Parts: sequence; structure tokens; C-alpha cells
Amino acid sequence: MVEFLGIYVYPTLWTVFYIACIVGPLLGSVAYLTLAERKVIGWMQYRKGPNVVGPFGLLQPMADGLKLLLKETIIPSGANRIMFVAAPMVTFVLSLIAWAVIPFDSGLVLADINVGILYLFAISSLGVYGIIMAGWSSNSKYAFLGALRSAAQMVSYEVSMGFVIITVLLYVGSLNLSAIVEAQSGGFWNWHFFGLLFPMFVVFFISTLAETNRAPFDLPEAEAELVSGYNVEYSSMTFAMFFLGEYANMILMCGMTSLLFLGGWMSPFDFVPFTWVPGPIWFAVKIAFCLFVFLWIRATFPRYRYDQLMRLGWKVFLPLSLLWVVLIAGYVVYGGKAVGA
Amino acid sequence: MPKLKIDGVEIEVENGLTVLQACEQAGVEIPRFCYHERLSVAGNCRMCLVEVSPGPPKPQASCALPAGEGMEVTTNSPMVEKARTGVMEFLLINHPLDCPICDQGGECDLQDQAMGYGNSGSRYTEDKRAVSEKYMGPLINTIMTRCIHCTRCVRFSTEVGGVTDMGMVNRGENAEITTLEKAVSSELSGNVIDLCPVGALTSKPYSFVARPWELKKTETIDVLDAMGSNIRVDVRGNEVMRVLPRLNEDVNEEWISDKSRFSCDGLRSQRLDKPYVRNAAGKLEPASWDEAFAVISAKLSGAAGERIAAIAGDQCDAESMFALKGLMDALGSPNLDCRQDGAALDPSVRSSYLFNTGIAKAEEADICLIIGANPRWEAPLVNTRLRKGWLDGGMKISVIGPQLDLTYDYDYLGASTATLQEIADGTHPFAAALKAAKRPMLMIGMGALSRDDGAACLAVARKIANDCGLIRDDWNGFNVLHTAAARVGGMDLGFTPGQGGCDVSGILNGASSGAIDVVYLLGADEIKMSSLDKAFVIYQGHHGDAGAHAADVILPGAAYTEKSGVYVNLEGRVQRGRRAAFPPGDAREDWTILRALSAIVGKTLPYDDLPGLRKAMHEACPHFTHIDTVEPTSWEDFGTIGDMSAAPFKSAIENFYMTDPISRASETMAACTREFILNAEGATGTDG
Amino acid sequence: MMLNRTASSFLLMELVQGMALTLKAMFRPKHTINYPYEKGPLSPRFRGEHALRRYPNGEERCIACKLCEAVCPAQAITIEAEPREDGSRRTTRYDLDMTKCIYCGYCQEACPVDAIVEGPNFEFATETREELFYNKDKLLANGDRWEAEIASNIALDAPYR
Repeated sequence: MVEFLGIYVYPTLWTVFYIACIVGPLLGSVAYLTLAERKVIGWMQYRKGPNVVGPFGLLQPMADGLKLLLKETIIPSGANRIMFVAAPMVTFVLSLIAWAVIPFDSGLVLADINVGILYLFAISSLGVYGIIMAGWSSNSKYAFLGALRSAAQMVSYEVSMGFVIITVLLYVGSLNLSAIVEAQSGGFWNWHFFGLLFPMFVVFFISTLAETNRAPFDLPEAEAELVSGYNVEYSSMTFAMFFLGEYANMILMCGMTSLLFLGGWMSPFDFVPFTWVPGPIWFAVKIAFCLFVFLWIRATFPRYRYDQLMRLGWKVFLPLSLLWVVLIAGYVVYGGKAVGA
Repeated sequence: MPKLKIDGVEIEVENGLTVLQACEQAGVEIPRFCYHERLSVAGNCRMCLVEVSPGPPKPQASCALPAGEGMEVTTNSPMVEKARTGVMEFLLINHPLDCPICDQGGECDLQDQAMGYGNSGSRYTEDKRAVSEKYMGPLINTIMTRCIHCTRCVRFSTEVGGVTDMGMVNRGENAEITTLEKAVSSELSGNVIDLCPVGALTSKPYSFVARPWELKKTETIDVLDAMGSNIRVDVRGNEVMRVLPRLNEDVNEEWISDKSRFSCDGLRSQRLDKPYVRNAAGKLEPASWDEAFAVISAKLSGAAGERIAAIAGDQCDAESMFALKGLMDALGSPNLDCRQDGAALDPSVRSSYLFNTGIAKAEEADICLIIGANPRWEAPLVNTRLRKGWLDGGMKISVIGPQLDLTYDYDYLGASTATLQEIADGTHPFAAALKAAKRPMLMIGMGALSRDDGAACLAVARKIANDCGLIRDDWNGFNVLHTAAARVGGMDLGFTPGQGGCDVSGILNGASSGAIDVVYLLGADEIKMSSLDKAFVIYQGHHGDAGAHAADVILPGAAYTEKSGVYVNLEGRVQRGRRAAFPPGDAREDWTILRALSAIVGKTLPYDDLPGLRKAMHEACPHFTHIDTVEPTSWEDFGTIGDMSAAPFKSAIENFYMTDPISRASETMAACTREFILNAEGATGTDG
Repeated sequence: MMLNRTASSFLLMELVQGMALTLKAMFRPKHTINYPYEKGPLSPRFRGEHALRRYPNGEERCIACKLCEAVCPAQAITIEAEPREDGSRRTTRYDLDMTKCIYCGYCQEACPVDAIVEGPNFEFATETREELFYNKDKLLANGDRWEAEIASNIALDAPYR
């Protein structure tokens, strides 16, 4: 019995505790990301943004959440009920489980697996299923068109994203996320952001915009043409799950950007007082900055046309990232950077 | 045949036309207010001014100027345009600008022409003239301030209506149209509302309730008399707001009688909107269609064919009569009749029950004998034809029957059959006059034919027609003056007693004696209902009138504005009416009720839709395919010579304004009855 | 030239410029007014909630000419009329479906007697749809409540008509 507890129950409980520690703050961040989005875009458009519910509108996410919770769930009569209900769950769950391999500090990671980066890449690719399911099961032309666009877009940008990740892998020589971060230690000038990989950072960041269906690549939702894309038939909690999943995905992508290019939990300067600040705070600050850039871009740029989007993905990013793979490989082989160092 | 040039285009017109008519033929529109093609020329509005050369160097009124050889008419020169603007400005000096509260607004000649030819402003700053309103009876509303003195109404009432009630008094600025506070005592008085080019004379029942642009206009056929007048029914929502005449030179020209025009408010009251079944306590209570059909089916399934009878009313469409006849044939009943008044018409010879001369050709007759009829009430628009013939062509008219004011002079020959017999025998001097005439006609009314000796009257009339040369190759002077819109259609369809069947009197006798168990009344209200006490009565119709009160089961049907149907008018003209509104509540189009009932009693009629029914009807009666034409008929032997009673003829209609369920339910017609019938009889205000 | 253009294209200069603009905007003063505690100014021509006006002697202006009903592009107005006891032309029913209305103002332009007007009130939200189906009583009550503002607005706009 004791053995059973020691081997199975306690680790499971620990894991559940860890998960709660990750998911709880994550969902809180998602809630306040929505507020931040409205505030930041408001400011950039000479508006104040929500400021009525609570001080500075800080209770607005609670009000929105409560509203969504209390609304009626409508399932269209022509919809495939099981798929229709499953789709938002798939999206939501996929956006959460990716966090298992994200290291918040040295050793502070739920599952420190060796192929963490591949796991992340795989999970983010699976995200398209939720959207396809939603679009198909809604039995609505707008939802279907939105889902098709979304699928095509995500598949296209994943290719160049993959090559960008390969450049990083080649450069670092490891698939372990903690190792990738460790490789960037010792001051911000060691971050991948600065140096040979900078163009890959730009490609990666823009691709994450496309991957998360954010402006200016929000064609799947294109209000003007598709009214809201794949989630047009959703309401209440089913809609909220999509919403949460989408924003959790944004945070995840920003986290990935931080890990790959901005030094993860590393402080920008390798001396006091900066080293006194714990790693997770630095990580959070970096994610927050990336998210701000997400919102900033949304407030600045108009939506792409679909053919432009495809041209950018296949005819600019793909050749560029391929070229960079060759370049980095050459650098690794001939430039003296030791493999696995 | 003068040749003239209009706006540079040469045209040759008939002799005797005016310049205005010539312009019309050339396709040039001339604005006008006082000119009307069916009335005499007055030439007092001056709106139709045109420039004519050779002639005086000033514009001339084209309506009063005969078209002459070599004239050159200009209708668009600066002079003409200035003249029109000037005339318009003069007309608007005293015309109030109260279009927003005027019922004519939106369909007003003055409004339209002021927009087309008028100036945008006026130089007149003085006060406008105000004229006190006049009383013109319960039908015509007057706002005489708006009057522009075109005198169309005066000319219509004297020339067409034949009454001298309207006139213009005083002169210059003080001129006023008036009836001297008396109602216009013409059956056609409503037409002055259409004729009035402004809003001075408007319809009293229609006042302020609707605007022309919100009305749905449906062209259909009137059924309140046997004329088959072409009408336009204006509907707002599902409510008939008004009825207007439609042009048909062969039938009603562009007039309709007041009954046709104003009884439409009767379509709103006393309606049957759901089926009723008489319960054990003897009270009619609302039921569903299924319940009503079940009760009927239970009765019919037990009854033998010869114990069932059907009577069709005066306003039925041919389709519903055909369906009912089909149902009765299927049930094996020979007892059916469409002649509620018992008129002795012979269904086997079509020319024996038609107005053979034709309505339009009646005005060409040079001598006319009216037998037992009051055309002024029974068919006001036939009467206008006779008046036109009398006025223009010197038609000589003689009357046997009631001595009434028919709006024209006539020789009164007598009140009864004795005179008729004398003419038939050739001993009366009038027989010689008939023989000497070029186009003689006689007109026998329902007052004669619906008597017990109706068959003998018909035979005598036929003998007169034969002996006095009324029947020629190109002329048939034998006419029956019907009062019921459904009568000729019913006769054509053979809605008459079959082999061994009873006619109306036979059915009524049979019902009271117990020989007939079930009587189906299709909108029949003019029979003696007390005779039906013992029988099971099914009433299918649209108004809660006599028939509905006597009924054991009521099936709510559609009035004439609520169904598409074929009607045959008194001269045999087949015309198609269209649905303008939907029947109220649960009521349905009549033929569909009969079709549904036939399925329930197990004798399903072989058609499912209106085209199918019409196809079957056309096979039975081929001339029903010829819409708006009169099928020629052959002259054959009919009528039974017999003894005639010496009683004087009476008119078939006692009150022009109330002859059928619709007009009896109409408030306007009740007001007319009070004004024209009861007042004329010297009744007091307590009568009704 | 060629080099400049290529360089700026590769360095995404246009994007950076755009983002600089929005970043600057973020720190500028905001235009938002704190509705409902603050309100913006309204033009005398503002087209808000409808009202049926009366003459100073209390007689309703509307004469049931139905021009507003005819001109209404949304067919939001329904009028029924008949002669009143004194013989004047008046409406028995004047229904305005505020959920259909598009606030184009054609009705007040069409009205020959300035009876139907769109007043300055825009705060007439209701809790149920049915409350937005205005009848004649509601419209006349609106007219009575807003008459001062409506009259002054019409007077202010009069010189430009």
C-alpha cells in the first residue's frame, strides 16, 4: 500500500499540483490578455478602452467571463452535435498541454523531455484539428470557409516555422528546451535574437502571427467577409473555450519565441542586481513584451489578402528559412562552433 | 376626312372630331379638366389651349375647335406653354393647397397637371375664396372650395344620369356647384366622384381612410347586378377599401352603379368566418371544418339521391356552381336550380334567356318595348344605353308594367298582360310600329318571368319577337333583362332540374312536405326559408343572411372579391374575375369547399386545382373558354303558350340599394335606403 | 535609389514606420468622453427618438396625410385614419416600429405640418422589444415632453431651409 502510494499516488498528486500551478496563472493571464488587448488597441486609437467595470476596468474580464458563462449554448439544428461540442474542447486542451514542456526556470519544468521542441511543434500543429472540426460540424458556409482558410494558412506557415526551428536546433545542437535556453546564458548579447539568427527571429515571429490567426493574418475570422469564420455558430461556453484556447496559444507562441530567441528565463545582464530577479519573472516579462508586440501589430496593420498571405509563406519565408538552414549548417560545420557544446 | 398637321406630323382624322381628339390620335397629350369624351363639350377650363394656324394669333381651346382641313396645330410652342402656365396659375388662385388632407391627393388631375404644366409659385397674394360645403346625399362628400368649375358633374348627371339635381348657380367668382341641399337621386351618382378632376367631390364612405398608393388594385368583375360591370377592387391589407369602374366599351363604358361601387363596406360586416353546426338545442355554434363535414356526410350518406336538392344563389361564380352540379350528379340528385326567383327561363335554348341584342348595340335600336321591368333599378347601365339611344338616336320607348321615372320619355301602354296579348295578336297599334321599325327590340324583365304565368309571358314575348320582325339575320331584338349575376352562368352550365328533378318551387314544396330531406344552398338567400324548416339545410355562403339563419350547417365561403371565378353577364359575355383579397377567418373559396366535401362523402370530384376545374368546365361548356366575348346563339322555339293572369306587372326589385346579402350588410346602402327609398315614400325617421 | 528601396524593403522599414506611428498614438491624450457622465454636443438637426407634436392650443398637428408612411424607406410607420367627430381628418392609429426605423429623417422632411419630428433624445433603450413598438399615445407623450427642445431646434435650423 505504502509502495503504491509512493510510486503512483504521490507523484500523480504532485503532477496535478504542478499542472494547477501552470494552468491557474495561465488562465488568469489569458483573461487579462483580453483586457490588455482592448486597452492597448484603445490607446493606440486615441480611446481609453474599458474603464467602467472595476478600477481602470480591471474587473472587465470577470464580467465578460460571467456573461459568456450565463449565455445560452446554441447548437445549430444542422450541426453534427458531437463534433460541434468536441471542437472547442480539442482547441482548448491542445493549447494547455503544450505548456508541459515549457521551462520556467532552470529545472523548473513539468516534463523535461529531450525532444521538447518537437513536442511543442507537434502540439501546435494539432491545433488545426479543432478548427477544422468546428468549421465542418457547424454546417455553415462561413464557418467552413473560415476553417479551410485557417487550415491552409497554418499548414503553410508551419513549414517555414519548422525550418526556423531547425536553424536554432543546428545552432544549439539540442532538442531540449532547457538546453536551448542555457545556450543563451551570459547577457543579452548571447541571445539568439542578436546575431546570425535575427532574420530567423523575424520569420518566426511573423509565422507565429499566422499560426495563431492573429492580425494581420486573421483571415479565418475576417469579420468583413466571413462574419467570424469557424466560430460563427458558437456561443456561450463553447465560444469561450475557443477564445481561451486561442489566447492561450498566443501566450504559448510568445513563450516559444522567448525560449528560442530571447533567452528564456535568463536575465539580460549577467550581474547584480539583475540576477537577483528570479528567472520566471524574466520569462514572464519577455512573454508580456512579445504579447504587446502582437497587440501593437494588430492595432497597426490592415488584414492581408489571402493570396498575399500564401505568397509570403511559400515564396518568401520558405526560401529564406531554407537558405538560413544551409547557412547555419555551414557555420556549424566550418565556423568552429562545436556540436553539442 | 380632314388632314391636319400636329406638331409637324401630318394626320388624317374622321369628320367631326375636335382638335383635341385629333391630337390624341396623333399621340400628343393635351392637358384638360372640363373635357370628357363621354360628355358634351363645355370649354370652360381653358387648359387645353393650343396654337392653331391659320387662325387668330392667340391660343385656342382645342376641345371645342373642330379639326379642319389644312390646320397646323402646335402643342409645344412657347405660346402654348405660357398659356398653360397662366391657366394653371388662375386655377390655383382659388384652389386651396390642402392636398395633404384631400382624398384626391395622389390621384388628382389638378395635382398632376400642376406638376407637369404649372409654375412653382403664384403671384396672387390676396385671400382665397371659400365656399360653403353642400349636401349631396350619403355617397358624395363635398369640399366645394376645391371646385374649379369644370362642370363635369353637372353634365354627367344631366346627360348620362338623366337627373337634373346638380347645377351651377351664380356667376364669376361667386359661381357654385350645388344640388340645393338635396341628394343626387341617380343610381349612377358615384361616377361624379371619378369624374371630378379635383377633390371637390369625394366618396363619403371612403373619406380619409386610405391613400391611392397604399392600395392593391385588382381588376375583376362586379356581381351586384347582372351587367357584369368591369371593376377595379382596391384593397388595403385584406380589406376592400373601394370599388372603381374599369373601361369596357361593350359593357359598362366607364361607369358603374352606386350599388356596385358603394356596397363594398358590406364585405366587412355580417361575414361568416367559420363553420357552424346547429346543436341539439337548436342553436348554431362554431365548429371546425372536419366537424361540419362530418355532420353533412352523416346526413348525405343516408339520403337517396332524389331526396337531396341544391339551389344556387345570385352571386355564385361558375366554378362553384359547376362543382356543386358535379357533386349533385355524383350523389344522384336531379333536384338543382339556379333560378331562386322561379323565373321561367328555358335552359335548352340559349337565346331564350339572353339579352340577345347586346348591351352596346341596344343604343342603336330605334324602338324598344319594356315588359315588366324597371331597367333603371334592375340594370342601371342598360338604362343609360337606352337613354343614350333616346337622346341621340331618337329611340322610341314603350312600357308595359310599372309606370316609373326611367330618365327618358316613353309611351305607357298598360300595366298588365292584356296589352301584351293585344300586341301579340297584332290588334294593338304598337305591333304595327314594331313591324315598321328598322331595329326593334323588346326587353322582358324578371317582373314578368318570375310570376306563376312566367312561361306564358315568355311565350308571348317570343311570339311578338317572331311576328313583329324582331329577329333578323343581323339583329336579334329579343332580350331578357336579368337581375342576378350568376343566372346566365348557371343556365349555361345546366344548373337546372335534371330528368325528373324539381325546380325551386318544387324543392321548396318537397322540403315542406317531407319529400326532400337535404337542401344545399349555395349562397341562396332570396327564397322562402320557412318552407325549409323540416329539411336539413346546408348553407354555403359569405354573409349571415336569410340562408344562414335557416341553415343546420353553415360552410363559410368567399365573396366575389375573394375568389377567382368566371361570371357570365346578361348578354352571355363570359368574363373572368380575379381575387383581390382573402376570405376572412376560416372561410375558403367556394369550389374548394365543395371539392373537400366531395372527398368526405366519397364522391371525389375529378379535379384538384382551379385550372383542372376550369378544364372540366370548358369540356362541359366550350363557350366558357372565350373570355370577354359573346358567343352567337341560334334562334329556336321556346316557351309554352298558356293563360296569363291579369295582375299588373311589378318590378323584380323593390329596393335598388338592397338586393343581395352584400348590399343588405352594407351601412352605406342602408343610408341610401333611408335617403332615397324611405324618404321618397314619406317615411319618418323611426323606420329604420 | 534601387539600393535604398531594396534595403528599406528588406529591413521592413514601412512596417516599422507604421508601428512607430501607433506607438506614438498610444501616449497621446484620449478623445473618449466619459458617457453617461459627459455627453457630446448635438446638432439641432440630430435625428433621435420620434415625437408627434401638438399646436400650442393642444390640437394634435398630424392630419393623417400618410406622406411619412409613404416615404418611409423601412416601412416602419403604419397609419389608419378616419374623420373625427368634428369632421376633421385625423389618425386613429399612428404606429411606429422603432426596431425597423433607420432614422433617416424622411418622415419629418415629408411632413407638411411638422407633426412627426425626430427629437434630440437618443437614450430610449428598453428592456423588451415590444416597448419599441410606439403607438400614437407614446409619440404624442414624447412630443409633449420634448416640445421645448424640438421647437428650439426647428427654430435654429429654420434659416438654413
